[in-house]
Amino acid sequence: MSLWVDRFRPKTLDDLHYHHDLSTRLKALAASEDFPHMLFYGPSGAGKKTRINCTLRQLFGTGVEKLKIDQRVFVSPSRRKLEINLVQSSYHIEITPSEAGSYDRVVVQDLLKEIAQTQQVDLGAKHRFKVVVINEADFLSRDAQAALRRTMEKYMSNMRIILCANSTSRLIAPIRSRCLLVRVAAPTAQEIQAVVEHVARKMKFDVPPEASLQIAEDAAGNMRKALLVFEALKMQSPDLSGPLRIAKPDWETYCHKVAELIVQEQSPARVMEVRAKFYELLSHCIPPTVILKTVAEKVAERVDEALKADVMHWAAFYELRMRLGSKKIYHLEAWVVKVMCLYKHFTYNFDMSEFD
Amino acid sequence: MSRKPSSQSRINTRQSNQKKPQTRLRTVRLDEGGEPPAKKLRPHNLKGKGKQTSPPACPEDDRLWVDKYEPTTEADLVVHKRKVEDVRRWLVEAFEGGPSGKLRKYRRILALTGPAGTAKTTTLRVLSHELGFEIMEWRNGMNERGANKYVEDLEEHDYGSVQPSTEAIFDKFQAFLTRAMSCSSIFSAGEPSTSQPPSSSQVSRSTPTLSSYSSNHATYPGCPQKRQVILLEDLPNLLHAPTQARFKAVLESLCVTSSPSIPGPPIVIIISDAGLRVEHPDDESWDGGSGGRRWGRPDILDIRSVLGPELLASPYVTRIGFNPIAPTLMTKALQALLVKHFGPQVSAAKPPKEVLDVIVETSKGDIRSALMALQFACISPLSGKSKTKNSRNRNGSRSVLAVLEVVTRREQSLVLFHLMGKVLYNKRKHDPPSSHMSAKEAAKERELDDKLVDSSPLPRWLSHHERKVSRVSIEALVADSPIDSGLFGLYTHQNYTQFCADIEQCDGVCDGLSWTDWVDGSLSTPYAFPTLALSTLHALPTPVPRLGQKVCKPAWFDVRTKELQAWDAVGDVASWLAHADTSPSPGDAGDNWGMDDTVSIGRWTHASIAMELGGWLRAMDRSGSSLGRHALPRSHKLALHLSKDEEDDGKWWAEVDDIEDVD
Repeated sequence: MSLWVDRFRPKTLDDLHYHHDLSTRLKALAASEDFPHMLFYGPSGAGKKTRINCTLRQLFGTGVEKLKIDQRVFVSPSRRKLEINLVQSSYHIEITPSEAGSYDRVVVQDLLKEIAQTQQVDLGAKHRFKVVVINEADFLSRDAQAALRRTMEKYMSNMRIILCANSTSRLIAPIRSRCLLVRVAAPTAQEIQAVVEHVARKMKFDVPPEASLQIAEDAAGNMRKALLVFEALKMQSPDLSGPLRIAKPDWETYCHKVAELIVQEQSPARVMEVRAKFYELLSHCIPPTVILKTVAEKVAERVDEALKADVMHWAAFYELRMRLGSKKIYHLEAWVVKVMCLYKHFTYNFDMSEFD
Repeated sequence: MSRKPSSQSRINTRQSNQKKPQTRLRTVRLDEGGEPPAKKLRPHNLKGKGKQTSPPACPEDDRLWVDKYEPTTEADLVVHKRKVEDVRRWLVEAFEGGPSGKLRKYRRILALTGPAGTAKTTTLRVLSHELGFEIMEWRNGMNERGANKYVEDLEEHDYGSVQPSTEAIFDKFQAFLTRAMSCSSIFSAGEPSTSQPPSSSQVSRSTPTLSSYSSNHATYPGCPQKRQVILLEDLPNLLHAPTQARFKAVLESLCVTSSPSIPGPPIVIIISDAGLRVEHPDDESWDGGSGGRRWGRPDILDIRSVLGPELLASPYVTRIGFNPIAPTLMTKALQALLVKHFGPQVSAAKPPKEVLDVIVETSKGDIRSALMALQFACISPLSGKSKTKNSRNRNGSRSVLAVLEVVTRREQSLVLFHLMGKVLYNKRKHDPPSSHMSAKEAAKERELDDKLVDSSPLPRWLSHHERKVSRVSIEALVADSPIDSGLFGLYTHQNYTQFCADIEQCDGVCDGLSWTDWVDGSLSTPYAFPTLALSTLHALPTPVPRLGQKVCKPAWFDVRTKELQAWDAVGDVASWLAHADTSPSPGDAGDNWGMDDTVSIGRWTHASIAMELGGWLRAMDRSGSSLGRHALPRSHKLALHLSKDEEDDGKWWAEVDDIEDVD
């Protein structure tokens, strides 16, 4: 029993439900002898990893599906031990260096060097190189990226790297230029709907078209979300009839509450309330960037047209600081206070002009 | 003459003696030099012995007062009675096993903690007199051995005979502990050491550094069953992680493996609390980030890092914390000491009351530093031998005060909350005195105001930055702060909103915090603290409305722990997802989807689990009963999570991470 998302994940390039152009290109690439380094990017839930795995399968055959999980211990320069989970087959290895936090450079360097310096021993292998899949590449620190850049050049003969990222903007230019960039766009609502119906067929039940459409529209291009919601709904009401009530994730509702709090009142006491909510969100592992983005969007919806640009400007401003700083809450809160100020001044000025 | 370097005083046995005071080991060491110790030490000891009756200020006795007037009875201790009682009870229980006789097994390690100079060691020593036990102390002998070797080399030019032991310090430490543990039986089991006359035994007893096994000769003849305590004050280098691990392992093994019938002597560990101040905190351990776990490194040696959480939580370890000595107790003790030193009559050399007050105030509860300061004040020639007139004397005392101010002022750290108060109340020149302030304090403030120089007015376009001159001196604040900028930021962040009247003021403070964090993240600067203090002071209103604000501890720490736990929980879910796939449960076998070998390992990133899986898990829980057929191969934790989640289903904020709460 596994999640539908995992169970009905396409395994070959032919099985993919959308972006057929991309699939054919990937197939052609896998057939050619000089497979490049690749960088898959696109919004989450668009199917980047699925495509990566399909490509690997195309490259090496079914052998890539025999996976094992390893736990490797790396030693940081300060003699700290880091435990990192590796998923690997005999042809490829998958890592998420961001799990090592700020020591990701060590992980990237050690691991890549090790893989690059060992030759493929399996004579039956279709290719001489191994593939390293790096997840969440956009969370790699600058150091790690620099290390990666060097390794990519040096060990091209034994190794290919596939990076998976949400956006290319956080990757340094040398890495981007060394990779073949593959953009995986979010599926459209119709494509998601088709997949939902496909899953329903596989599970041998019918899904009313309006239900599948609603799910697809709610998912906003995130296939994983759509399938998870679908499965959850199915568990709740097995016949999926009647008007569906798709619950937003808790953290999203929570963010909306925060936005409401900001617009309702602007006072130091309110800042404290907002902070408590932020703390709650942070302590539930919601990335601060996501919090800021969601709240900012919601606030922008509720304020006057003239303020929208400012709200977003400051969100971007503090998001940058958040990335460079270490205590996320300061920057989240600084943004909130800034927006409160703007909002207050705006309404105040507005009132004045009316009275004149 | 030539002492073997290997036979260092790894075991320093201190004899207890009700009547005779001990010589402090450290003093003995200073005097040691290359001379045969016995020759030099004896006269000292004799003098020290008779100190209570000796004439005041004996010219040859150049020992520090700290050593000279070390308390020997509980009455002399400045420690609160209850604390002493706590330690005594523990020791008695360690020796006798308490009322039921079973406690002995668990009275293995006593940790005495507290700031420096709060009489931790002295308390133990006084109790050793009272209860009659020996203290065996470990000392890291590295420097000393080097010095001795050097002396020997010089004197004998015989390099061949000097075989410096190559044993690692920690091995020695371990050997010391095991020896001390096992040797207890030898020492106590009716040793035939009574051949020596009592007088000589006394002498050797008070010179315990002579040889490591001087205790052999010095066993108190009257008491065949000698109790012992192992004292660890000079710990091995515990900042070195492997050493720390070994240290803990040794202690643990001592706790557990010693035979329950005759456990070895109890261990007393004395740890002085280090200040909180670190300028370069390991910030990586704190920043919540891109979905990764962070590794922190404790850089401060405190009780937790010395013993580790497991040991601290184990029943074998008792912890007794000492507080800084109360000013009243300290004043009393200093006065008593002066009487002892100068005699009851009024003496010109005796420092006046004001000096005493300054000393007590600046020592911040550290009796050792207070005694040093007092001795200094007394030997200072400024106290005027010729100035006999009263007015002159006052003059003299004032100059003593001035000197004391300069010389003995320790790095006075502000108490944390005092510091926060200083910043957050943002007092500026000509602020009206607050209502609860006494006239004296108000006068002090006025005096301060007079000293403050107004800055030149700002140009018109900067006039919104115009502020009155602050009464807070940033330089002094930085110098006196007990915390570093990171912690200061957290405290400011937690508390500033109460002190702001307006959202604009919040904006200033918060932007300052954000700015400092941002700058500090890229390059660690010494300016972070002052910048933060300045920006906060600049943004806060003047005067800050007094509404009974309470400064409190940052909630950030709790949130941080919760966050880390939550990440762990997410990690658990991730591995559960992976394993749910790799090992299809037998319940699934009937359903012939042919898809069960799908592997989803690693396809879930932690962030996506945290953000997207919550709804699914909840739905899973709700319909848990209907899905019973497909028994999930879920981990124990997740099973717990289910039952828990059903209970608080009404709580709308329930997520994946509640799993951890159950644990």
